Parts: sequence; structure tokens; C-alpha cells
Amino acid sequence: MYTLLIVQLAVSGALMGMVYALVAYGFQLTFATSKSINFGQGELVMLSALFSLTLIDTGLPYWLVVPGGMLFGAALGLFVERAGVRLALEQKSEGWILLTIILGLLGFSTAENIWGRDDRPFPTPIPSDPLHFFGIDVTPLELSVAVGVLTVMGLVELFKRKTLLGKAFEAVSADRDAAQLMGISATRTIQLSYGLSGLVAAMAGILVAPITTVGPTMASVLVLKAFSVAVVAGLDSGFGVVLVGLFLGALESLTSFYLGSGWREAPGLVLLILALAVRPNGVFGKATIRKV
Amino acid sequence: MMKKTMLAALATGLFALQAYAADTVRIAITGPFTGGSAPMGVSMRDGAKLAIDEINRAGGIQVGAKKMKIEVIERDDEAKNERGALIAQELTSMKDLAGVIGTVNTGVCLAGDKYCQEKGLTKIITPAAGSASMTQWSKAGVKDLSIFRFSADDGIQASMVVEEAINRRFTKVAIIHDSTNYGVSGRDDLLNQIRKQGNRLQVVATEKFNIGDKDMTAQLLKAKFGGAQAILIWGIGPELAAVSNGMAKLGMKVPLIGGWTLSMSNYIDNAGKNGNGTLMPQTFIEDPITPKARSFIESYHKTYGVSRIPSPMSAAQGYDAVYIFAAAVKQAKSTDTHKIKDALEDLKEPVKGVIATWKHPYSKWNPADEQTHEAFRRDRVVMGMVQDGRVVFANQADRQRLMKNAGQ
Repeated sequence: MYTLLIVQLAVSGALMGMVYALVAYGFQLTFATSKSINFGQGELVMLSALFSLTLIDTGLPYWLVVPGGMLFGAALGLFVERAGVRLALEQKSEGWILLTIILGLLGFSTAENIWGRDDRPFPTPIPSDPLHFFGIDVTPLELSVAVGVLTVMGLVELFKRKTLLGKAFEAVSADRDAAQLMGISATRTIQLSYGLSGLVAAMAGILVAPITTVGPTMASVLVLKAFSVAVVAGLDSGFGVVLVGLFLGALESLTSFYLGSGWREAPGLVLLILALAVRPNGVFGKATIRKV
Repeated sequence: MMKKTMLAALATGLFALQAYAADTVRIAITGPFTGGSAPMGVSMRDGAKLAIDEINRAGGIQVGAKKMKIEVIERDDEAKNERGALIAQELTSMKDLAGVIGTVNTGVCLAGDKYCQEKGLTKIITPAAGSASMTQWSKAGVKDLSIFRFSADDGIQASMVVEEAINRRFTKVAIIHDSTNYGVSGRDDLLNQIRKQGNRLQVVATEKFNIGDKDMTAQLLKAKFGGAQAILIWGIGPELAAVSNGMAKLGMKVPLIGGWTLSMSNYIDNAGKNGNGTLMPQTFIEDPITPKARSFIESYHKTYGVSRIPSPMSAAQGYDAVYIFAAAVKQAKSTDTHKIKDALEDLKEPVKGVIATWKHPYSKWNPADEQTHEAFRRDRVVMGMVQDGRVVFANQADRQRLMKNAGQ
């Protein structure tokens, strides 16, 4: 009985952790090509989810809403790159940090003005009645999160490895200057990475929305956890984020059970501090050798 | 010459302003009109404005020799304690304010009402229900109180919730509450009532959650593995829905019984079918059982273009509170807030409201008994139940009783 309880807690937590992993993966994509990340990623998640909700309200079927929302996310990603990142990178400045935060705040106000401040339910055709596996309850909705996260990450990885454009992406990630000498446009590739990152963020929003409801503040905690996951796993760890995401999710769930729900946010921060102190490149990250 | 005309203009302007101010009864309506508590705040405001429109259309309130219209001042406290304190300070600095109606959140009451009390500004709290917003005055031993409440306080509600659990022959329950002033005082009321009603319920888990929490797995599992047959809950809409959805996720099929906030639209909508069967005390149910209720519900729907009131009892309480306040203004023959307070403490004429006909709802404040400034008693409150997106009477007997009372 007691082990079942622990397993149940761990499984429910871990499935939510998959969403952290997906948002963290969005950080990785842009970091790989440009060594910059979008600090307003949470707002991308939220705006895409709200946009998808509007699509649902217009009567569009769910299977059209998902790509619609993802395209919207990609467009937002491209906008962030153009408005907040490109100029800063061209000037080799760190201005993108502030600019992406500001764009995020702008997105938040926009959402409040268009959609209001209230949390709203996000209808999906996926049932929420629990299924039983060996005494553990899991809802199809939670499973859809896991499947969705792995599918999107798998597709993006395939794209990076199998297509010409994807190979250019990998080349710029490996060495931007060398890639440019080979005739690959770094600017275009960075643009692509922001588009993909937005797409992934949108997918995270659509997947998590039916569970957490949709509103302007839906992603503010989520994005902090995702950031912890990205740093703990390493910003170039690929699928490493999934493992760390699962682990953090399960740990949070267990912590809130044993220490009380007020301690829920603690493990993410403790892990972040530990990782920065012990393995600054992340658990699955590669130590970069900087050649002068 | 120029100067003179300007001065004259200014003087007439001032005079006009004063004349205008003296011709209206200025009432402030405060509450959360945005955010998680908004369904209650907005419904209360809109219900109150419905009553104000009716009064104004009939020419206003008879104050002494003349009829005065009501002028409304609205303030959104966003359910934030610090905003509530700021708004209360602003309102007390207004010169000719007759009184305040509103406040949804107990924390906001605790933060703001002391300013009203200091200046003697008359306030009717509705629909905030937390016990602490009135007991704070009896604890402080205040001799003369300008704060009244028009809401079924949590003491009544908690006793009904515990009663319901006992009537259903449950022996083990879990208490889950939010970490705000409202949730914590609700938990204390529940524990108190369980003791008072003979300790027939064993509390197998007492768990809390924070505003904004979406995942209640840990709290619910404690209840589930403790063998709880019902969950007694105190919180507001969005988190309550998260609890209902979490219960469905874990396959928990025990009833959720709790404070009246379980009738908020953002609970009912976000919980969807998982909310069916949830029980909560209600002062008003959106069911046209009396002609007065029918006309109120219809005019609310028509005026605000909705097919369902977001929080029916907030709307009805806002509506009745305005009529009670107006009756006090009429009796006081003045817009002076102190005189209105005295009139409220001794209302001579019965006030016909949508919830009931209020006969002498308040009496002179007695620090030993906060019931003197509470309008609701146990028999005014019924059990409501969520069914397919609406709140209905949980017991048909209550419905029959109210219909009969109205017929008399």
C-alpha cells in the first residue's frame, strides 16, 4: 500500500516533469545556435495556449488547433529573435537578456488585455478519466503530455539530423564561424532555432493547458522549473532534459507529500544551486574547452 | 475683469459641485472585479447596481423632504489585501460618502476595515464570509462598530458542512484548505464544529494548498490513503476546481463538501463534470421559486447579457444589501454615515429583498456577541449542489420550505 502511494506520487509528478523538459528543450535549441536564450519563453507558452483556446472557441477541431497553435508559437519565436535578439547578437552585446525579458512582460500585458486575467478551462477530446496500471491511476491526459513531448522532441531531433537545413543547424551549433565560412548563414540558422523554440513552447502550452487551465500566469512557475531543468541537465544535453525533468517532477511531488505542499518549489532551486556549484555544465553537459 | 469672471466661474463651479454632491447618496462598492475571486466581486457589484437602478428609476431614496438618487463609486481591490487597505484609506478620506458595500475576501476585510471603523464609515460586508472579519472586533472589545455583515458567516457554513457529513453517516473525513486568511479560519471553524457536534468525525488528514496551485496530488493522496469518506474544503474557485480534477484523476469518488465558494462559476466551469455532486451552503439559488426571485434572475440575465449568474448568491446579497442600506438612509433622513449606522442597528420597516424579507436584521453592537451585526442565521441558508454546470437545491425539502415561506 505504502509503496503504491510513493509510486503514484512519483509517476504523477514525473509526467508533469515532462512539460518542464519540453520548455527546457526550447531553451536548448536557441542556446545551441546563438548562445542566447529567450527569458520570455514562459510568455510564449502562455500566449500560444491562449491563442489555441481562441481557435477552439471558434469551433476548429482539436487536430487543427494543435498545428495552428504551434505555428503561432513559431511566429512569436521569430518575432522575439527579430525584435529582441538579432541586434544584440550583431553587436556582440548581452542586451538580449533584458530585451527578451521586456518582450515577455509585453506579452504578459497583451494577454491580460486581450484575454483577461482569469484562468479558463481548455477543452480537449482526450478523456480525463483515470486508467489503472498495476494499482496506479494515470489519466490519458497525462499520458498525452508524455507522448506529445517525446514526439515533438523526436521530430525536431530527426529534422536536425536528416535534413540539409537541420545539418546547417548542427554546423552552426558546433562552430558558428566555421559554418559561416562554409557558406551557411548564421543569422538564418539562429532565426530557425528561435522559430523551432517557439514551436516547442507552444506545444508545451497546448499539452499542459488541459491539466492546469489557461490564464496569463499559467507559465510563470513552469518556466522557472524549466530553467532549473535546463541548467541542471546542461544547456547542450539534448535528451538529458527529459531525465532531469522526470526526476524533478517526481521529486517535487514527493517533497510536497513528505514536507508539506509549501515546500513544493524547493527541490528545483536546491538542484539548481547544487548543479551550479558541482557541475556548472550540467549533469549531461559537455565541458567546453575554450580555445584562444 | 478677466479675473473676476474666472473667479465667478470658479465659484459657480464649486457651488454646482456641492449642490450636486448634496443631491445624491454616494455609496462605494468595492470588491475584486478581476482575478480568481472576480465571479463573486462582479456578481455582487452587478446585483447591487441592479437594485440601485431600480431605486433610481423610482426617483431615488426619500431622505427627509426630498428624493435623492444613489451615486456609485466602484473600486477593484483585485482580492489583494494591500489594495484593499489603500482603497479603504481613499474611501475614508472622501467627505460625503454615505457608506460602503462589498468586499469578497476575508483578508481584504482584515486589511481595510480598520480604516472604516476608525472614521466611523458605515460598511456592509458582502459576501466575504470568513469569521475573522467580524470576530476581530469582538476580540478587540470595540464598543461602537460601523461594520456590518450581510453574508452567511463561516461559522454557520462550517456547522452545515459538518452536519451534512454526519447526516450522510461518514466517520472519516479529510480537511483541505487554502493558505489564505479565509482558508485557515475555515479550517478552524470546521475543527471547532466537529468538536461541538460530538466528535463524530475523525479527521484523517488536514492539508493546505496555495493560491495558484494546480497539482493537488500530494494532499489528495493523504486523504485517500487515510480512508477519507468525504473531503471538507475551504478555498476559492480555481484551486477548488484543481482539487476536483485531481480527485477525478486519482479515481477518488468521495463527495466534496465545503464553503459556499464551491458555487463560483470558475469552480463549476473549470471542474466540469468532475464538479457534479459537490455540496455547499447557499443563501440564494438561481431557481425562480418566488416571483421576486424570478424577476431578479430575469433582469440580471437581461441587463448583463448572461444565461447564468457567475455567483448567484453574491448577486442576490449585493442586491439585498443595497435595499437594506437604502432603508437605513431613509430612516436616518440623512446621508450622514454615522446616522445611517444608527438606523441600520434599529431598522423599523421590514425590507423586501430577493433572499428574504429582512425584519430588523441588525441590532445595537455588542462586543460579546457579533451576531448583533450579522444578518444571516442558520435558517436562511440551504445546501446547494452542483449539477451539470449549475447549482441546484440539494434537498427538495429546502426548496418547498422557501416557496411556502414566500407564499405566506
